[in-house]
Amino acid sequence: MKRNEYLVHLISGISAYILDSDPCRMVISLHQEEDGLHLSFMDDNEHSDEELQRIEKDLNSSKRPELASYYGAMTGQDLLGNSRLDLLGWQVKHSDVSRIDKGIKIDLWVGGERFQSHKFNIPEKED
Amino acid sequence: MDTQHRFLLGLLLLTISLLIITGLATDGPRTAAAGFLELQLHPARLINDFIEIRGLGAALLNGAAVGIIGLVLVLATGVSLSGPTYAAVFTLIGFGLFGKTPFNILPILFGVFLAGRYAGKTFSQYIIIALFGTALGPLVSTLAFELGLPYAASVVLAVAGGTFVGFLLPAAAVAMLHLHQGYNLYNMGLTCGFLGLFAASAIKAGGHTYSAALAWYSGGSLVPVLITPVLSLILIIAGLIIGKKKALGDFIAIQKHSGRLPSDFMEMESVGGALINSGVIGILGTAYVYTIGADFNGPVIGGFFTVMGFAAFGTHLRNSWPILAGVVASTLLFGMPLTAPGPVLAAIFSTTLGPLAGQFGPIVGFIAGFIHLIMVSFTGSWHGAMNLYNNGFAGGLTAALIVAVIQWYETTKTDVQKFTGD
Repeated sequence: MKRNEYLVHLISGISAYILDSDPCRMVISLHQEEDGLHLSFMDDNEHSDEELQRIEKDLNSSKRPELASYYGAMTGQDLLGNSRLDLLGWQVKHSDVSRIDKGIKIDLWVGGERFQSHKFNIPEKED
Repeated sequence: MDTQHRFLLGLLLLTISLLIITGLATDGPRTAAAGFLELQLHPARLINDFIEIRGLGAALLNGAAVGIIGLVLVLATGVSLSGPTYAAVFTLIGFGLFGKTPFNILPILFGVFLAGRYAGKTFSQYIIIALFGTALGPLVSTLAFELGLPYAASVVLAVAGGTFVGFLLPAAAVAMLHLHQGYNLYNMGLTCGFLGLFAASAIKAGGHTYSAALAWYSGGSLVPVLITPVLSLILIIAGLIIGKKKALGDFIAIQKHSGRLPSDFMEMESVGGALINSGVIGILGTAYVYTIGADFNGPVIGGFFTVMGFAAFGTHLRNSWPILAGVVASTLLFGMPLTAPGPVLAAIFSTTLGPLAGQFGPIVGFIAGFIHLIMVSFTGSWHGAMNLYNNGFAGGLTAALIVAVIQWYETTKTDVQKFTGD
């Protein structure tokens, strides 16, 4: 799959999820380099703590190579039924979900083996 | 190796061991082993019940051997055992009772491996496609044993044909997935049926005529009747051991999911809940077949193994009963006996359409089951009965139609017009 197509799938997957809640505002930001990229999504919907935890869990689910290469092809293609963030979670390197003034911000980092995470600001975990 | 993986590995090894012991004890080691070897040379197109052909011992040994190959491949690729791999190994064992043999699945597995190498993927990334893609095993057997070519040429042609079709599987599998958007659990059934159309046409163009096959054990021996319920009880007990009281709650929670691909119940809820779901499905399936008075044989037990496997990957009671009701209604309406091979297998395997009922409700599920029975009665001949997942093929076509209609309805009845002015 070309990088552009892959990006469209990722953007479509998250966008579909956010648009399910009918926001007034949705912002998508992309920063890409040769070995990786950072995608950021913001909306102005209300989200419960439980929903945030579920989003974070789905987007940081354990890596499933046997599922990602096959069923991951459905990412962003969910024309019928609920959006499924776990399909995305198998394919990204890291993700964060945080609250902003109104709504939430979802950050996704994607990269290959040579991906330098510090260039993309993945927050370091505190011990 | 985590606890879940070790537990499932032990459970699968126990299942395979019990099948081997039962097979050897039933027919004796010598008869079972000889029958097992003869099965490798059998054209395995639908419906060839290996219990009828070479006896229960040989069939169980073959099922165990096919299952071992699948399990070894999963372990070799480093993929953790979970819902999809559990489903794959159970399905392999089940179809080892009526179509898959070590001989006819290996070229296909090799073909998928080559496709992975070509695409720059590891085999672990294609392992699910490879394991379920063995549904086209009878293509290999047909090329080897039905065309009447010289022995050496047949074997070369069979291995080459199986490898080639295996190479095509990953590309076709993803395309087929988009057709029904994950609402047909046996997506490789649709994929193999699609490729089977081309293979069957090519073989027919070469002058071969397919003869219908129906070997169906109806001897009424007690052992085949007991295999599924005994295994189901083992799974329920195993689920309670690993999940304790929480497993029962997780079993209930599983019923709330749509089951749409990919739904790994072991990850979404728990291993214990999924195993109980697996066992309950097996017991209720056995009760259905026993109640209507149908035969317990290779295809029926194989069907139970498949459905029980998928009870960790999409199938559950709530999304299955409307489909089954639709199949039963269709069978009765068209004047077919519920105990005939086609309707019995359709009733078991139609649960491939469970996600439609799980997502859109029981009425859509009932309609899907009704249409499925009509379709599956005819689709077998389309691919020369070489696709063992014929119900997955018919189910995929049914799901694609229903998804298309619902999608059309939803897109025409929404508020998009406000924006577009159409």
